[in-house]
Amino acid sequence: MTEHTAVMATYGLQKAYGSCKALDGVNMMVRRGDIYGLVGRNGAGKTTLMRMVTGQSQPTGGELELFGASGKNMRPQRARTGAMIEIPSFSPFLTARENLEYYRLQRGIPGRDSVDEALELASLTGTGSKKFKAFSLGMKQRLGLALALMNHPDFLILDEPINGLDPEGVAEFRQILRQLNRERQTTILISSHILSELSSIATRYGFMEQGRLIEEISAEALHDKCRTCLRLEVDDASKAAAVLQSQLGTDKFEVLPGNVVQLYDCLDDPKRASYALAQNGVALLAMEQKGADLEAYFLNLIGGGSHA
Amino acid sequence: MLNYIRAEFYKVLHRPYTYITLAVLLALEGLFASMFAFHNAHSLVTPFGGAILPIVELGTIGFCVCLLTGDIVFAAQYKNSTLKNEVSFGLSRARIYLGKLITQTLLSIVYLVVMMAFFLGLCAVILPMEGGAGFYSPGEALTIVGYFLAAGLPLWVGAQAAMCMCLFLTNGEMSSSFLYAGLVFVLDNVLQIMGLLVRGRAGDVLLKICQSFPRPMLDGAKAVVGDWGYLGKAWTVGVFWLVACTAFGLYCFHKKEIK
Repeated sequence: MTEHTAVMATYGLQKAYGSCKALDGVNMMVRRGDIYGLVGRNGAGKTTLMRMVTGQSQPTGGELELFGASGKNMRPQRARTGAMIEIPSFSPFLTARENLEYYRLQRGIPGRDSVDEALELASLTGTGSKKFKAFSLGMKQRLGLALALMNHPDFLILDEPINGLDPEGVAEFRQILRQLNRERQTTILISSHILSELSSIATRYGFMEQGRLIEEISAEALHDKCRTCLRLEVDDASKAAAVLQSQLGTDKFEVLPGNVVQLYDCLDDPKRASYALAQNGVALLAMEQKGADLEAYFLNLIGGGSHA
Repeated sequence: MLNYIRAEFYKVLHRPYTYITLAVLLALEGLFASMFAFHNAHSLVTPFGGAILPIVELGTIGFCVCLLTGDIVFAAQYKNSTLKNEVSFGLSRARIYLGKLITQTLLSIVYLVVMMAFFLGLCAVILPMEGGAGFYSPGEALTIVGYFLAAGLPLWVGAQAAMCMCLFLTNGEMSSSFLYAGLVFVLDNVLQIMGLLVRGRAGDVLLKICQSFPRPMLDGAKAVVGDWGYLGKAWTVGVFWLVACTAFGLYCFHKKEIK
C-alpha cells in the first residue's frame, strides 16, 4: 500500500495536556475507500484524534497527514472532508434549512440544491420552521450528518454519530454510509460505542487504549480471529491432528503451541471429535467452545474491564 | 472572505435579537426627541439645532452599541460550540476572526446610520428649525455633530475591535461583556486616578496613557470642534486600538483549542 492511497495518516502523533498524555505516539493509516472503525473506551483518545484531524486541536508531537498534505498545507484539504465531532452544534435560533444555508454561503458551495439534497438525505425535509433549539437529539444528529455531507466530502469523520438515533434512524444511517462508500468511494472514519453497529459496516478497525493505538486490523482478519472453534487441549497435538484428518476427514484445524488444537469443524457435534480422539489413544485434557464478536475481542484485547 | 461576511449577515438578519435591539434603540431616540416636542408645547421652544446637540454628550452609547453588535454577530459561538463547524471545514482562523470583526463593524455602521437618520429626521419633523436666541442654527448644529461623528467613528471602530477580541478570548458572553466594559469604561478611569496619585514622571505617563483610550478621546472632541489636529489624533488612537486588539485577539485565537 503506497502513501498515495492514504487519506489520513499519523506518525507518532502526540497530544499532552500538562502531564496527561491524551495521545501517545499514535501511528495510524486510513486508506482510500476504508470504513475505518475506531474502537476504544471513554478517554482512550478517539475524539482527541478526530479533533486534531479536523483542526480543532493542535498536536504536541508527531505528524499528521491529510490527503498527503501536512502542516499548513493540510488546511485546504479539510474542505474535502465532512465532520461530525461530539454533539452536533448549530445556531439555536435558526431552523435546519437556515443553518445549512448559513454554512453553504460560508463555504461558498454553489446552488441551493445542496441544502435540499442534504436535508433529504438526512430525512429532515419536514422540520419546517422548527428552530434547532427545539430539536431532539436524534434530529440534531441528523442535521450534523446533513452538514457533514453537504459538500460531498471525500473523507467523512464521524464521532459517535448514532447516539440518540431511533432504530429506524440507525438502519437508515448505516444504509447512507454504505451507499456513500460504495457509490462515491467516500472514505469514512467512524467511532462508536455501539460495537455491533460498527462491526456491520467497518472494513478496518483501530483499537485505542490510553492514548495509544494498540491494534490495527482489517475486518477479514478480525473475522478470522473471532471465528468460533473448539479448543482442544491434548497430550499429543501432532497425533491428535493425524486422528482428526484420518477419522473425521477434516483439515479445518490449527495446531497451536502447548499441545492445543483449534478445530473449526464438528461445532454442532463436539462429542464426535472427543470420541475419535479417545478411540485413537489421544488423551483429551480439556475442551471448550471459543469464539468472539467485536466487543468480546476488544475487551480481550484491553484485558477485560469496562465498556468500550 | 466575501462568502464569510455574506453568511454572517445571513445569520444576523435571521436573528430577532438584531431587530429587537435596533427597535429599542430607536424607541429611546424617539422618546428623547418627543421630550423636546412635549417641552416645546409648554414653555421655551427648543429648535432642531438645540435638540440634536445632546448627541455629542451621548457618545458613550456608541461604545455600548459596539458591545451589542459584537454579541449579535458572534452569537455565543463558544457556548453553542459552532466554531468547530467552521474550523473543521478548513476555514482559516484569520478569516473567521476578521470576517466576524468586519461584519460587526459593518453592522455597527448600519446601526449608526439608521439611528442618526431616524433621530435627525424625527427632530426635523417634530421640532421647529428656528428657535429663540442662544440656540445654534441647524447648519451650525449639524457641523458640530458632524465633527463629533468624524472623531467618534474611528474610536468606535477601535472599541469594536476590542469587543471582538474579548469575544474570542473568553468563553461566554457575560465574561466578554465584563472584560470589554473593564477595558473601555473602567481602565481609563483607574489609570487617571493612579496618574493623579502617583507623582512625577510616572504619573504623567499614566495620564498620557489614559488619554489614548477611546472614551476620554471622544469626550475631549466636543470641546475642540473644528480642530483638525485633534481629529487626526482621534483617528490615530482608533486605528491603534483596531490594530492592537486585532493582532492580540488573532494571536490568541490561533493558539486556542476549539471545544
